[in-house]
Amino acid sequence: MLSAQRSSLIAIVVIFLGLVGVAYSNASSLGGFGITVLSGLFQGMLLFLVASGLSIIFGLMDVLNLAQGSYFMVGAYVAYDAQHIGGLIDLTNAIPDPNLRFVVAVLAAVMVGALLGYLLERGLLRPLYSRPIFQLVLTFGVSLVALELVKFIWTTTPYSWTELFGVRESFFELFGQRFSTYRLFVVGMGVALIVAIALLLQRTRIGIIIRAGVEDREMVQALGINVRAVFTLVFTLGCAVAAFGGAIAAPFLGASTTLGNVFLLQAIAVVVLGGMGSYTGTAVSSVLVGLAISVAQDAAIGTSFAALPSITPMLLLVLVLLVRPSGLFGNSRT
Amino acid sequence: MAVFLTWLRGSGWMWILLVGLIAFPFVVGAATDSSPFGVARGDRMIMRGDSVRWQAVFIEVYILAILAMSYNLLFGFTGVISFGHALFFGASGYVLGLMLEYTPLDTPLALALGVVAAIAVCGLLGLLVGVVTLRLKGVYFTIFTLAVAEMAFIFFGRWQVTRAEDGFAITDLPLWLDPSQNRLSFYYVALALAVLTFLFIRRLVNSPTGAVFKAIRENEDRAQAMGYNTINYKLLSICLAGMLAGVAGILQVILNKKVGPELLGVAYTVDPLLMTIIGGIGTFTGPIIGAGGLHFLDVFLRDAQFTLGDTVVNVANIWGLLLGVIFILVVIVFPFGVVGTWQRWRARVKVMRGK
Repeated sequence: MLSAQRSSLIAIVVIFLGLVGVAYSNASSLGGFGITVLSGLFQGMLLFLVASGLSIIFGLMDVLNLAQGSYFMVGAYVAYDAQHIGGLIDLTNAIPDPNLRFVVAVLAAVMVGALLGYLLERGLLRPLYSRPIFQLVLTFGVSLVALELVKFIWTTTPYSWTELFGVRESFFELFGQRFSTYRLFVVGMGVALIVAIALLLQRTRIGIIIRAGVEDREMVQALGINVRAVFTLVFTLGCAVAAFGGAIAAPFLGASTTLGNVFLLQAIAVVVLGGMGSYTGTAVSSVLVGLAISVAQDAAIGTSFAALPSITPMLLLVLVLLVRPSGLFGNSRT
Repeated sequence: MAVFLTWLRGSGWMWILLVGLIAFPFVVGAATDSSPFGVARGDRMIMRGDSVRWQAVFIEVYILAILAMSYNLLFGFTGVISFGHALFFGASGYVLGLMLEYTPLDTPLALALGVVAAIAVCGLLGLLVGVVTLRLKGVYFTIFTLAVAEMAFIFFGRWQVTRAEDGFAITDLPLWLDPSQNRLSFYYVALALAVLTFLFIRRLVNSPTGAVFKAIRENEDRAQAMGYNTINYKLLSICLAGMLAGVAGILQVILNKKVGPELLGVAYTVDPLLMTIIGGIGTFTGPIIGAGGLHFLDVFLRDAQFTLGDTVVNVANIWGLLLGVIFILVVIVFPFGVVGTWQRWRARVKVMRGK
């Protein structure tokens, strides 16, 4: 077991150093290198926001929520809608300050995500716990419905964020290169969430129940704890976190109908890479995959391989799975 | 009379259906006074008239039926669920298209090589995905197929060599197979392939190998304990299903005379999945009924409209939404599908009669 841990540690260090090395050798200046790394961390944190819910929900409930990416997309749309003039709910008159309005927009997205997550678990997944394959099929169906509903409400035209506010418009300089503060803000938010969820899992009673449930669901139930209620809570939280990710990604990525699928697939790669159900694994591999995408984006500029970044997570995943079939932090039981 | 009824209940209705489908272009032609060959204009044929229009609809049903049957082999009979069936469908389309349009070979040779290469590539893809993921239990295979198919979709949507999102047209088809010149013969090719697929899957599932497939579906650990190398059997099932989906992809490319990334899109995964569930998982006729039912619904509802309050809603615009809602409803309340529910009902009636 120790050697397995060591080998996964070695694998992580090798991948990490390899990525940073490639980024460094490709970069023309120190500033360019900084941009690649920062953009990698930025994407890694966004991936984490989708992947963490996916991973914890799978670990606890054995449900792979294929609608997780849709929550990210819905979060982005709700935040965009609340922030801009002419949306479904026009807040520009009620809250003229764009900074405050952004906070409200993010909160609205989180609330919508949580509500939809609660409804999905309570209304649709509950009857199907005896038929696990159908749960998977169902979440797939929900992701299709979510996509169609979003197309119906907001049309298929992608929106790009136009309403600027404090963090979004300012820049800072490093190595003679301008960096957007917003990326740093998102990275900070991501790190804060990683720590917050870790604390929740390690230090609170509910966290202990969740971790015990991941180990042995029946045993927790036998101890007189209502595991179903914990399921609902975790599912709701996971969806809320994904919607939060979409909301804070929207000022940079905009809102488009492709967001859901793109982030779902990359998050799946992250979760499998880290080892299914392992929280540490998900956090570490989010950063690795984010960096890998960023490096690939850098390398693809000016070549004919414009599609390289979009298949990078899969390539990384295939490589790791060939060496360690259960992922970086996965245990051999699965 | 009794003999006839027994025959009808056994395999007779299938023979009648087959004869009906073979005669179909001519029946529609006679009923609507249109030629099943289209309208001749000089030495070229124009595909106009009800008969050729309905041939296209039925060809599409045959293609979807082959796809759904191949999906059912995997999902219904082996218990392996793939969310990336479009990968096989699209990959074979691209291989055939590249062979026809991007190589300097003669048309018949390119077609023959393309068909063989396309099916081989599908088998290899299935083998690769299977080898990487089947060592692990649970959902790995499912999500891996989903991810690989979507990545392929994104990749081919941006790959300049195959003209990215636009795709490329197939111009180089032999005359006897060209659906815009000689649709009737292509109709029979598609029908024949659908029938062959049905017979092949029925033969396979009723063979000893098929028995192992079903054992894996019911309880993989037990099948393994009995000494079967379940991974090899699952690999075989995936390869065969992939190759059959490849056949469907080839037909689709020839029918549309176009190759594009939409062949790899999620629609071609959802369609067979939904058709299999609606028709009946793990039944021989279920996927065909599902494919026919869903496609006819699509064709009939495409031009329909209804008013909701003050706004006129085009069904074509909300077709995806409708499909998704049907999807969820079927999964929750109708999990055995048409054929599965029918079989259960019949079994119950038999038990009641016995008492």
